[in-house]
Parts: sequence; structure tokens; C-alpha cells
Amino acid sequence: MTRISGKYLAKRLVVSYLTLLLIMTLLFALIRSAPGTFIDSMISPEMTRAQVERIREVWGLNEPLWKQYLNFMINYQTGEFGRSPTWRVPVWDLILRRMPRTLILFGASYIIAYLVGPLVGMYLGWWRGTQKDKTIFGTSLMVYSMPAFWLAWLFIWFFDYEMGWLPSAYMMTQFPEFEWTAFTVMTDVLTHIALPLISLSCIGWVGAMLIMRPSMNNVVDEGYVFLARAKGLDERTVMIKHAARNALIPVATGAIVGLAFLIDGAVITEAVFTWPGMGQILVEAVLNNDYPVTQAAFFMLAVLVVGMRLITDIAYTYLDPRIKFGEEN
Amino acid sequence: MATEGESTTGLESYKRAWEPRIERVRRGWDRFTEHRMGVIGLVVLTIFSLWALIPSVFAPHTPDWIAYIGYENARLTGEQIRSLPHPPAFGDPFFAPLGTDSYGRGILTLLIYSSSTAMYIGLAAGLLSSLVGVPLGLISGFYGDTWIDETIQRFVDVMYGLPFLPLLIVLVAIRGQTTTNIIIGIAVTSWLNNCIVIRGETLSLRTRAYVESAKVAGASDLRIVFRHIMPHVLPLSFVYLAQDAAAAILTQAALAYLGLADFASLSWGIMLENIQAEGYIFTAWWWLLPPGLAIMLIATAFYFIGFSMEDVTNPQR
Repeated sequence: MTRISGKYLAKRLVVSYLTLLLIMTLLFALIRSAPGTFIDSMISPEMTRAQVERIREVWGLNEPLWKQYLNFMINYQTGEFGRSPTWRVPVWDLILRRMPRTLILFGASYIIAYLVGPLVGMYLGWWRGTQKDKTIFGTSLMVYSMPAFWLAWLFIWFFDYEMGWLPSAYMMTQFPEFEWTAFTVMTDVLTHIALPLISLSCIGWVGAMLIMRPSMNNVVDEGYVFLARAKGLDERTVMIKHAARNALIPVATGAIVGLAFLIDGAVITEAVFTWPGMGQILVEAVLNNDYPVTQAAFFMLAVLVVGMRLITDIAYTYLDPRIKFGEEN
Repeated sequence: MATEGESTTGLESYKRAWEPRIERVRRGWDRFTEHRMGVIGLVVLTIFSLWALIPSVFAPHTPDWIAYIGYENARLTGEQIRSLPHPPAFGDPFFAPLGTDSYGRGILTLLIYSSSTAMYIGLAAGLLSSLVGVPLGLISGFYGDTWIDETIQRFVDVMYGLPFLPLLIVLVAIRGQTTTNIIIGIAVTSWLNNCIVIRGETLSLRTRAYVESAKVAGASDLRIVFRHIMPHVLPLSFVYLAQDAAAAILTQAALAYLGLADFASLSWGIMLENIQAEGYIFTAWWWLLPPGLAIMLIATAFYFIGFSMEDVTNPQR
């Protein structure tokens, strides 16, 4: 039995699409209002007016703003991202080359964060108010308050500079002396990913814990927990099987929202470890007024966030029978 | 024509009117001080506030001071420049309890004089995002499931679709790199959480009996929202103000790391940016550790206060 009416689904789809259009409009306005354009760096004082006009025409900047806006809206929705003026390659090539690297690092840290965070949050929420809870909670808040790049520096300082155990830059050894086999390349990448991954995960799990702890604490006094205890189940089973499962719903929401915030971590961490991913080029693109790359990166993130929001809304109605959408009156 | 007697009764009536409020605050304070975490946070924040308000009392010098030459209009010799950044030194040749940076300025001095920037950014960004988020959340929650609520929530969705840090970089790049613009940028992107939480709280509050009775008594919507509902969500909004403040300070540091800060001012983020620019990250620990620890401590203090207040306003056990 489905609990979602077709009408509701259609309404959600339309609203999501309109949201996306609105984000794109806002994006266009924001990026165009930054001072200067990307062709500023291509123009030199010796150029004639005609040459400058020619460059503007090649990059489509001579058209009136409303036409540029229309082009942007149509092209981006059909996946035409154009060429990057800074890197001189099609934007798609840039994204396809950079995206997997970002996904490897941040996918791994995301998984670690959402494995460790809810687990710790579960224990802390279950024993809220005990000395153990206070100590661990306070410590994790302190970790959460560290500037990410500073913590990364500390790790590099110890593991690379002092001890020389792990490399701290790039994804692979730059001028390798070993033979290129699947095994050596794998180990090489793994040693390079270790430090960024450690410093990301160190801070990352706290966010999930902060959601899980109060959520767990809310279900502690629920009737079904009481019932599970009354049935004679041991404390561990009650906590994990009966309480934690119900407490996980806000964490799932948080995980979806957290996806959008991954790129914030990417911007900083990739810069510290010179990890050649999306975060690095995003900052550079923004600072260089590289419209195509900035817009493409923002656009893809927006599609991801809006799409995930839609999917979670629908998935919830199946996961939790208590949530109902579009069925009232 | 107020006579002596009348003014006393006026004072008394004031006293009577304010008694329950004072009592409520006092009880809240008592519950707050039960949390050791919150008290620690408050102590740390007090110290940083003192640093921010009267830095000259705590700092050994002012930021103009330069090692070896002090305030003189003189040049450093080559040998002196090579000795910078200087590790912690007492007595001769100069007094710098936490050492100096590569420009010869005292680390402790910079640390203390930067405190005001951090406090300013934290409090201003927190207040601004509350000022935007709380009223919008109240309105959105009070008119739940109407077009007003729908509009505000769609707008929140739109803002969530834009990545936080890159958007902030764009905003700061557009408006120029000053501390005020960074604060505005942070507030523009961080009021969303406040709005959503306050909306949820308002949604549950508006069905309460006292709201219904206010409505029956003929109170306007405006009066119900700001007079009857707002006092109940304010404690919660302070919780989020504290968390926003912590997040704002961390964000400012991250922006400084990316090179987007007002480099004419002093801040802990800029101290860290300087150590990177000068290339002493792994060799000058006395320069690397203090600013990071200061950021960590002030953000922790805000978080500690925020989460303790959450316990006070929403006692679970």
C-alpha cells in the first residue's frame, strides 16, 4: 500500500524544480555581481578595442544580461557547461577528472563520521548526565571547536615533519621511483589519503553525535523502551534494537543536510593537503571570476541537495509510518 | 503631582510586577550553574571579554611593539632579523612571554589584542542571524501550512541549496574584505538553522491553551506572536545564538586561511594565515599553537554555554 498520492508526488516534483530554478537565478545574480569578469586576465594594455571585443564575443559576454541569463538557464539544465576560461578545458572534463578524487576522500570520511557519530551519540544519549557522558561530550565539543586547517597542520607537523611516517601532500608520489603495479599504486594512494582522512574524521563525527545524543535521550523514556525492558531483554538489546533505531531518523535528515556541507570541508582540507579535488578548483574559480566552473559546481551541488531532499521526504513515508504527506482532509 | 507615598507604592508595584521575572531568571541561573560545563564556558568567555575590553592591562606591550627595538623608530640589524621568529624569551634582550612572530611582534600581545575581533565577530554574527532567523521562524511557525509559511520555507530550501563556504567567499569577494562584511556574509548564510528550529517550536506552541485564550480575548496576531509565543522561544534562540557565535568564529578563521580577511585588523585567524604565509608552520610552535588554542577555547566556551542552556531550557531529566 502506498501512502503517497500521485498528486502529492507531482506537487513535490514541481516545487523541487522551481526551487532549483530559483537557486540558479540567485546564483547567476550573485556571481555576476562580483566585480570584474574572467576576461580581465586575458586582456593586456596593448590590445586594440576590436581585439577586446572579439574576446568578449568568444566568451559570450557581449550579449545583454538577460540573454546571458537565458543562455545560462537553458544550457545548464541540458548539461552544457561550456569551457573554463581559467583551465582552458571543457568544464565537464574538469569535473569528471576532479570529482572522483573528492568523492574518494570525502565519501570515506563521511562514512566514518556517520558510523562513529551515531554510535557515540547513542551511548551518550542513553547514559545522559553521567560523569562519562559529561567528559566525552565536553571533549568532543572541544575537538569540534578546532579550526579544521589548524588541526590538519598539527597532524602534518607530527606525522610528516617530525616523524616522516606519512606524506602530507597530493594524491600520489609526484615522481615515483617504484614500479607501477596495481598494488604499489594502491598503497601509495592509501598512504596519501591517510592524513587528510584522519583530520577530516577527527572533527566530522561530532556533528552526527550532536544530533544523535538528544534524539536518543528523547526515546529513553518512551513506552516501547519500557516494554522491551519489561519483556526481560538485556540493556544492550533494548538500547541498540529498540531505542537507537527510532532515534536514527533525525540523524538521517542530518546526514542529508550534511552532504551539502561536505563541500565546505572539501574547500579547506583540500587546500591544506593540496588534494587535487573539486574544493580546490572551486575556490580558485570563485576568486578568478571563472563563471562557467563556479556556476557548474554550485549548480551540481544544488541539484544534489534538492534531489536528496525530495528523495528523503518520500523515503521517510515508507520508513516511518507515522509521517504522512498530502493526505490531510 | 506625585507625593512621597504614591511614588513608594509605584516602586512597590514595579517591584511586584518584576518579582516573578527576577525570580524566574534567578531560578534559571541556579539551574545553569549546576552544569559545570556551562560555568567553565562562562569563565573562559569572561576572560576573553576582559581581554577584549581592556587589552592594555593584560598585554605586556601594544601591537606596535617590535622585538629588540621596542617602540623606537629604528631598524633591526640583519642578525636580529635572522633570529625572528624568536622563541619565548625572558629578560634580555627583550620581554616576550610567548615569543615573537617573524615581524618581531609579541605573540601574547597579538593574542590579547585579537580577542576583541573574535568577540565582535562571534556576538555580532550570532545576534544578526538570530535577528533574521527568529522573527522569520516565529512568523513561519505561527502561520504554519499557509502560503506565508510555504514561502519562507521554500526560501530556506533555496538557501540550503547553496553551499555555505563558497557562497560566503562570493559574498565577501563582492562586498570587499572587511570584518563587517564577513559578519554580514556569515549571518546571511547561517540564520537558516535558527529559523527552522524556532518554526518547529512555534508550531507546537501555537496550539497551547494560552494562545487559544489570547485569541479568544481578541489579541491581534502580532500581539500573540511577540507577546505570548516569543518569550517561550527566546531561551531556545539564545542556545542557537551561542552556537552561531562559535561557528562564526571558526568560519572567520577558515576565511582568513583562504586569504579572505581584513588584514589591516588583528585576529587569531590572521595570525594563523601569517604563519602560513611566512612559512614557519612546522618550526615555530610558539606561534602556531596559541592562536589555534584561543580559537578552540572561545568556540568551546560558546558551545558549552549553548548546550548547558539547552539543558536549562529543556530539562530532560
